[in-house]
Amino acid sequence: MSMRFLANTNFPFMRYKWYFISASLVLLVASGVSIFFGRGLVMGVDFAGGTQLTLRFRDTPDITRVRRALEGLKLGEVTIQRFDEEGLNEILVRMQNPAAEGDFTKAMLDALEREFDVPGAAVHLNRDGADAIRDALVQADPDSVGGSVERRREHYQPMAEALLEFRRGVGVLKGMSDLERVEKLSPGVRRFFANDAVFGEFAMLAADNVGPLVGKDLRNKATLAVIFSLTGMLVYIWFRFQLPYGIGALAALFHDVIITLGALSFTQREMNLPTIAALLTLVGYSVNDTVVIFDRIRERLKLERGMPLPALMDKAINQTLSRTVITSGLTFLVVAALFLFGGDVINTFAFVLLVGIIVGTYSSIYIASPVALAFTGLFERRREAKRRRR
Amino acid sequence: MKKNLTWRWLLIGAVTVAAVVMMWPPKEKINLGLDLKGGIHLVLQVNTEDALRAEVDAAMERVRAELTSKGAPPAGAQRMEDGRGFILKMSPGADPKVVDQVVEDRLLDFNVSRGVNIEATLKPEVARTIRDMAVRQGLETIRNRIDQFGVAEPVIQRQGIEGDRIVVQLPGVDDPGRVKDLIRATAFLEIKPVISVAPTREALLAAYGGAVPDDAEVVVGDVEDLEGRVTGREYFLLKRVSVITGRDLRNARRSQDRYNQPAVSFFLTPDGGSKFEDYTRNHIGERMAIVLDNRVRSAPVIRGQIRDEGIIEGSFTVQQAEDLALVLRAGALPASITYLEERTVGPSLGRESVIRGLRAGLVGMALVVAFMLLYYRGAGINANLALILNAVILLGAMAALKATLTLPGIAGIILTIGMAVDANVLIFERIREELGLGKTVRSAVELGFSRAFGTIIDSNLTTLIAALFLFQFGTGPIKGFAVTLSLGILISMFTAVFTSRTLFETILARKGRAQTLSI
Repeated sequence: MSMRFLANTNFPFMRYKWYFISASLVLLVASGVSIFFGRGLVMGVDFAGGTQLTLRFRDTPDITRVRRALEGLKLGEVTIQRFDEEGLNEILVRMQNPAAEGDFTKAMLDALEREFDVPGAAVHLNRDGADAIRDALVQADPDSVGGSVERRREHYQPMAEALLEFRRGVGVLKGMSDLERVEKLSPGVRRFFANDAVFGEFAMLAADNVGPLVGKDLRNKATLAVIFSLTGMLVYIWFRFQLPYGIGALAALFHDVIITLGALSFTQREMNLPTIAALLTLVGYSVNDTVVIFDRIRERLKLERGMPLPALMDKAINQTLSRTVITSGLTFLVVAALFLFGGDVINTFAFVLLVGIIVGTYSSIYIASPVALAFTGLFERRREAKRRRR
Repeated sequence: MKKNLTWRWLLIGAVTVAAVVMMWPPKEKINLGLDLKGGIHLVLQVNTEDALRAEVDAAMERVRAELTSKGAPPAGAQRMEDGRGFILKMSPGADPKVVDQVVEDRLLDFNVSRGVNIEATLKPEVARTIRDMAVRQGLETIRNRIDQFGVAEPVIQRQGIEGDRIVVQLPGVDDPGRVKDLIRATAFLEIKPVISVAPTREALLAAYGGAVPDDAEVVVGDVEDLEGRVTGREYFLLKRVSVITGRDLRNARRSQDRYNQPAVSFFLTPDGGSKFEDYTRNHIGERMAIVLDNRVRSAPVIRGQIRDEGIIEGSFTVQQAEDLALVLRAGALPASITYLEERTVGPSLGRESVIRGLRAGLVGMALVVAFMLLYYRGAGINANLALILNAVILLGAMAALKATLTLPGIAGIILTIGMAVDANVLIFERIREELGLGKTVRSAVELGFSRAFGTIIDSNLTTLIAALFLFQFGTGPIKGFAVTLSLGILISMFTAVFTSRTLFETILARKGRAQTLSI
């Protein structure tokens, strides 16, 4: 005996359509209010322009000092965001200056280094690359290798590389105790680091700098991508189904996008390129779900000519209900894994899909078909009226 | 029937083997994006106005020098505000014939209007060529520098055919700040005769009534103490015309100065060498300034004739001296550069992203596989095989197409796992329905596949439409997402429909007239 659920169901979806449509309207209005009059949509650097640094500190970062250092630059508005993940000490700092082009990454890093780091040290172990660390060793020559620069380089190169490899694994070196774990370092080099090197307070994990020109490009491209894919899907549905169904699918699609945007606005998550990609994916997904139900309605229409449309729609939705729930459920599980384990970078991406799958599944059942039904009725009444007038 | 099945299995086997060969070992064959392996993505703009200005300045100097030598010196010369041309103020006594001749000979690239003054503007098509050349030369220079710096698999491309933007992608760079400086350094080297030196601009120009003489310019330099610390500034009045420039360089390398401090030695081409030799022989005891990017690095006194070698001193670290030698070797940029976009991902973040993406993918896949087994039993094994095959072929296809796997790309694969089972769910639910209607196993399977097929096409196409436009308009990582999503969906048609059906039919053929089906 195999597992089954939602087989042979017979829910009268169409009878209660107004309840669902009203509930959706409430959600839509709430989303609209949040987007336009409430918290609004937060634009990330991709669209708003600006510079964003992801920093990992050795200890809990002192936000006030970070802010003071960056505001001292007077280059734009500073936003600082903490990641909540335990023990990581990561922050996201953003400086928005919509007017200027240029390399603000450098200015910001320099300002932060002035605030947090000891100036004038021979080596900065959390910032310098392998070459710089090697050359500092070459110049100080703690192992007394002597000879030409090339000869000294040959001696210190493997140590610098081993140190960098270790840093890649941990993100930020916390102190001398970390260096104990890099076996290749000679005692002399260790001593030199202990006396003359600084660790600094932080390491830069990522930098995103988007100037106004590129920001505008990205906005245009995102807009085009959205317009073209929506039109593409609309044309497809038009081509495959009758007009009322096209309108139904389109209504469901807008319903999903607006509510998901509302959720983004409400949770104050950033809009950036991945968010747009996620929105378009959710659009594809939602239409996909709707199309499966419409396909079944079309099949039933051919088989049961006499049946009234609402009953026929109920039957089609019920027949595909198990598939709808299983597929949505599985996709939801997968996206939930992405949301929970995928890390900060794709968290918002996964969030959009999570919300989208719920709303998209709901709308293909409760919005697409009722709207298609309503418009079929409307068109029929019109045709009827025309005929009578003649 | 049997033969038909054999062929199908051969096809499935061939595709699988090809995919595995393509992707194995994944560490080498799958091309990771910058966001996963760490690196820098830069979009920079070549400020072609600089190149226009340089061209205008050079032409203006040429014409002025020629007019002066032919006894019709202009009273003044000025570049126009927009940098596209210049105005020469002529003294009324100048012989019009001489002026006409010079204009005709020397200003071929300009539209010239002659009144009392000469107004010359660059011809638009010439300006376009200069801009284009500046971008091309910039691209070439940056490519040279990156090559000499030694980055594996760099991407250095012009954005569009006519644009002034260049895209630079450098994987696995551990010191982004240094590379950015290296790319942006104009590295324009000039050696010019020193007229005078003073601690302030006013003192410098006092002898000339406060105005800079026509054939000279003021350039600033740092004053350093013996330890190399900057203690102040000096102002140099230099001749406008250089003795030699960076174009006369044959080679440059890191060396050491008298005090054993890092310095940069340069070597001149034969042409440049003879120019330099002539000049130094005739000007012993005078000073010459080594000017880098419009800043005086040093101003040594000429002790004797120098042939083809020089040294740039200053407070360098070993690395700075090496970088300067590198950019001098690679050549100067024809114009300054502005960074329009930067995306830097540190190697540690990239590594964490890979680990997290893999973890999320494995958890997601495990959940789906477990559910399919529990819910569909025997048929679940079938669907899971199709799913695993989908993942393998997807990776194989990515390796074959040399597509780049990005973090959103991993998300695309994970999403595909969820969506690829949809085809099987559609088919299996349909088979169950048909079985429920009392059909035989064979015809239920037949109907399940054929009826679900139209729906599968419809539903996959909608997602494909979205993915294709994302690919068209997406940049970088988003493109990676579009690639994995669309490939995944296309492949799922092969695995979830074709392979899955072949499996079913093989089982049915073995069982003969089966009465039950584990689904």
